[in-house]
Amino acid sequence: MVTLSSYLAVAACLFAIGIIGLFLNRKNVIIILMCIELILLAVNINLAAFSYFLQNLDGQIFIFFVLTVAASEVAVGLAILVAFYRNRRSINVDDINTLQG
Amino acid sequence: MTPMNFPLPNVVPLIPEMFVAVMAMVVLMWDLFLPKERKHWNGYLAIVTCIVAGVLTMNVATAESVSAFYGFFVLDPFAAYAKLLIYAGTALAIIISLDYMKDEFGVGEYYTLMLFGMLGMMLMASAPNFVTMYLGLELMALCTYVLVGFQRDVLRSSEASLKYFILGSLASGILLYGISFLYGVTGSFDFAEVGAGLAHSGSGARFAVLLGLVFVVSGLAFKISMAPFHMWTPDAYEGAPTPVTAYMSVAPKVAGFVILIRVLADALPSLQVEYVTIFTWMAVLTMAVGNLAAIAQRNIKRMLAYSTIGHVGFIILGVIAGNVAGYAGVLVYMTVYLFMNMGIFAVIVLMRRDGIQGELLDDFAGLAKVRPGYALAMGLYLFSLAGIPFLGGFWAKYVVFIAVIEAGHLYLAIIALVFAVVGAFYYLRVVKYIYFDDKRVDFNFVENRLMQATVVVTAIAVVAIGIYPDPVINICKAAVSGII
Repeated sequence: MVTLSSYLAVAACLFAIGIIGLFLNRKNVIIILMCIELILLAVNINLAAFSYFLQNLDGQIFIFFVLTVAASEVAVGLAILVAFYRNRRSINVDDINTLQG
Repeated sequence: MTPMNFPLPNVVPLIPEMFVAVMAMVVLMWDLFLPKERKHWNGYLAIVTCIVAGVLTMNVATAESVSAFYGFFVLDPFAAYAKLLIYAGTALAIIISLDYMKDEFGVGEYYTLMLFGMLGMMLMASAPNFVTMYLGLELMALCTYVLVGFQRDVLRSSEASLKYFILGSLASGILLYGISFLYGVTGSFDFAEVGAGLAHSGSGARFAVLLGLVFVVSGLAFKISMAPFHMWTPDAYEGAPTPVTAYMSVAPKVAGFVILIRVLADALPSLQVEYVTIFTWMAVLTMAVGNLAAIAQRNIKRMLAYSTIGHVGFIILGVIAGNVAGYAGVLVYMTVYLFMNMGIFAVIVLMRRDGIQGELLDDFAGLAKVRPGYALAMGLYLFSLAGIPFLGGFWAKYVVFIAVIEAGHLYLAIIALVFAVVGAFYYLRVVKYIYFDDKRVDFNFVENRLMQATVVVTAIAVVAIGIYPDPVINICKAAVSGII
């Protein structure tokens, strides 16, 4: 029997990997998009686990909304990335430095 | 087999939302059939949409709260007033865009995105539920990411958009992670049910509850650009086309504060001690970062970004107060802020020079000798932002400070007062450039009647609210009295 806390632990690990990857990654913006996806998937695991153990369907329905929005978010993100690449000819994280701050 | 009998949901409270959604698509389609030299008609259609939506909202709003779609949508005076602010902010931003867009982009998607972004904010203002809130938030955010990067061939613009996108998605992820814990503890996404569930949750769930609180507050703090989640603001403001900066600086903040108040008052009232502690620290940090960093800026858009952060720090005092006066103070502040900020951005766009906007502080030097009218308007906005008495900005600060003192946080009001004085320095410095310095660059003003009218109307509004603030304060008090 897998307990609720195991699911939550997996989700927390995924979430942490996503956050750490976002900040430690100095190479490629695509990896940042993957990290964001990982964070959203961690949320989905959380929601699914809670939904199952609470015997309540709301969480699983919310997962579909999160998935849909995540898909459109990546679409917008990649479009922005392409626009950036056309101007900068690079998608290196270190090259995102025109605006100071 | 008998036909299933579904009661038809009450769609009346959603009429403004439906209207805006349809009009956004109409604008998108109409753009295809407009000849190139008449593309700006799209902008006029979008402005008319905002005005009609305002009229519709006034007609469908009632004094008591109406809920629709099985509790996924609520229309109360609070939401209605916030929506009117959102319409005004969007309409003014579109007016500022009219001339800018004609020269630089000439595409109708721009106005469609603005209207869809407005739709997202309207949904946020009416959300009684984390699901509606999340969908509204994302609709607004996705439109704003694209708008910030709308100058596709300008590196600054696409870079700002990319930064905003990365940090914005991270904030959404954090917010969702928090929501998932609140759901896990209470088994519901409805604010009221979450509130009831949290009040009865045992000490075993304490850790999950606190986790949920911290993550939800961080996610929302990002959207209203509170320190330490403010890093995106200066870059996004500077890189975005100026009318988009104007758009981002008011309407999404209104929606963000409304949803923050709803979440705190309805879903997290049992955690008031905890969230007041968090917000107290964040408010002090936000006021410090905003007002101190603004001093060092040479670019007026970047300076206004830090000024926004500083003002958010003041507005959050109303949320900390947590009573009718405090929440009303948030609305009063947003109302005044709308006029001040939109006026400043209108003048910035009017002052364009050789295709580059008058963006550096130096560009404003000697404005008073060339165009005394604009200089006077700028002076009024800046004095009002600084909180000089008997202009709108003074009463905005006054209401919020009084509310936070009445709630027993005198020290916060004193800290805020100190930072307000610091903030006055960099606002008055711009006034000094305008009135006492000699001209350093050639001015090249845009002549646009609608935009000049915007400057006049916003300046009059700032002065009028300053002289006679009671109607605004009373309306705001009436609007929030229903939610607690």
